[in-house]
Amino acid sequence: MFTIEKKNITLGFMPLTDSAPVVIAYEMDFFQKWGLNVNLTKQNSWSTLKDKLHTGVIDAAQMLAPMPIASNLGLYGKKSTVISPIILSRNGNGITLSTNLYQKILSQHHSNEISMPFTAKILRPEIEQRKKSGDKLTFAVVFPYSCHYYQLIEWLKESEIKLTDINLLIVPPSDMVPAMHSGDLDGFCVGSPWNAKAVREGVGITGVTSSDLWQDCPEKVLGLMSDWQKQHPQTTLALVSALYEACQWLENIPNRFEAARLLSRAKYLDTHIDVIAPSLLGSCLTINNSAPRKMPTYQQFSSLDDPKFNTPAHHYGENIAELMQACGHINTQQRAGLNIASIYREDIYQAVINTLKPNKP
Amino acid sequence: MRKKILSSSKISNKNQDITAKLKVLLAENNPIKAKALMSILSNAEYDIYHIAHSGVPLLRDVEQLNPDVIIIDIESPNRDMLENLNQISQFAPKPIIVFSEQQNTHTTINQMVKSGVSAYVVGEVNQTRVKSIIDVAIARFEVFQGLKRELADTKQKLSSQKNIDKAKRWLMETKQLSEIDAYHFIRKIAMDNSQKMDDVAKNILSVASIF
Repeated sequence: MFTIEKKNITLGFMPLTDSAPVVIAYEMDFFQKWGLNVNLTKQNSWSTLKDKLHTGVIDAAQMLAPMPIASNLGLYGKKSTVISPIILSRNGNGITLSTNLYQKILSQHHSNEISMPFTAKILRPEIEQRKKSGDKLTFAVVFPYSCHYYQLIEWLKESEIKLTDINLLIVPPSDMVPAMHSGDLDGFCVGSPWNAKAVREGVGITGVTSSDLWQDCPEKVLGLMSDWQKQHPQTTLALVSALYEACQWLENIPNRFEAARLLSRAKYLDTHIDVIAPSLLGSCLTINNSAPRKMPTYQQFSSLDDPKFNTPAHHYGENIAELMQACGHINTQQRAGLNIASIYREDIYQAVINTLKPNKP
Repeated sequence: MRKKILSSSKISNKNQDITAKLKVLLAENNPIKAKALMSILSNAEYDIYHIAHSGVPLLRDVEQLNPDVIIIDIESPNRDMLENLNQISQFAPKPIIVFSEQQNTHTTINQMVKSGVSAYVVGEVNQTRVKSIIDVAIARFEVFQGLKRELADTKQKLSSQKNIDKAKRWLMETKQLSEIDAYHFIRKIAMDNSQKMDDVAKNILSVASIF
């Protein structure tokens, strides 16, 4: 056990399927086991979550993997030294096209179905056609400094489609499916449960997941202020230990179903289990009332035989920085000035693993 | 994007010159909160538009109304969308004023403002304070946008310098010109055709890329 400097911790999270580690650590008493009294606070926007973390309104937060880097560079406000001592989840995102657009694509390709995962090449005839009338397809993501954003751009780029060939909006997650219903969106790249919700409502087709695009990409991480960690080193280790154990707990499929039930509660996702459970059980809903795609890596939190799975390895940070640079979020100078090892803190994670598994190399 | 008729309630003082007034957009879904804020704002020297939309319909309203400033609750899910308008090519960024009903965070107002939001209002607000908050938010935003523009201009200058250098190098290698002659060559074409040296350099480089 650690000598806890601060017992009462406020932890911010966004209501998404991959908030499972923080919800499970709370519900299954892993926080308590490590001597912490954690208050989980649901947030409504990433902007407010990061403002609260930067200013100490919350002690810790579940963040999008690129956010600690964006905070350190001051991309959305004042530079703030946010660190990440653990990866909480990998994969979990998907690209969904509206059913209307999908039907159009099928007729353009004189086909009854398109094999999945599909490439963005299938969009080209529609993009070309719209160009003639000065129109563009409209896509959305929830936040600019997110893997969703980079994955969508990379997916398009692979098929030689530039970001300027489409409209890209930032839209709140809960407004994505309504915007598809109203015809305002032709597609989006988001995390669970929003892809599954679009499919269940018959308004969208999920044809690509982040597992298809960039296998094992870190998706959510724990974020702390560097100063906070310095003032509470033991508390940090306890927090990471509890979250590590929650991630391990989530490896068991029967446990995943229990997690889905818990997440559906009003205080968490406040959404039907029908749309939360599939991705947790390794199933990607594609087309309403059709067989889902089997996708065991759709939502990953841990690996039972690999304690390194949750390591915030600096090469992941470098990868993300590269994508940020490729899409113009950061310039060469900002990239050169980045010290990823001071943001993605492998050393803290290693200290936890040494305590939990002293005999493992 | 499809256009819809703007659905907003508006308070304006007809005796004042409309063009001189700032357009303030209050995006708030909760009618009670909205009413309270509207009553505070109503006597100030602004045109206030209240919109209870969220997501894409709100975005459309912003596009159509083109407000000078947007006011939203810190807990609004629309914050990510409204604060990232400049990530979306066709939208101009707007100063955002964030308000919070919770008093317990008041010690962090200054930090919040420093950390990026244009202004941060906590708890009860009176009319005189609102005016100064809006003015300060817009001023701060303009300073920030000015800095961003300066940065973009500097980048542009650096990249023109790069183009001119590259074009010079190509001329030196292929036309056996000295550096100073290559420079004069580019400048002469630019002057003769009343073009920017950067544009001439770009033309030279595009020709160079053919060979």
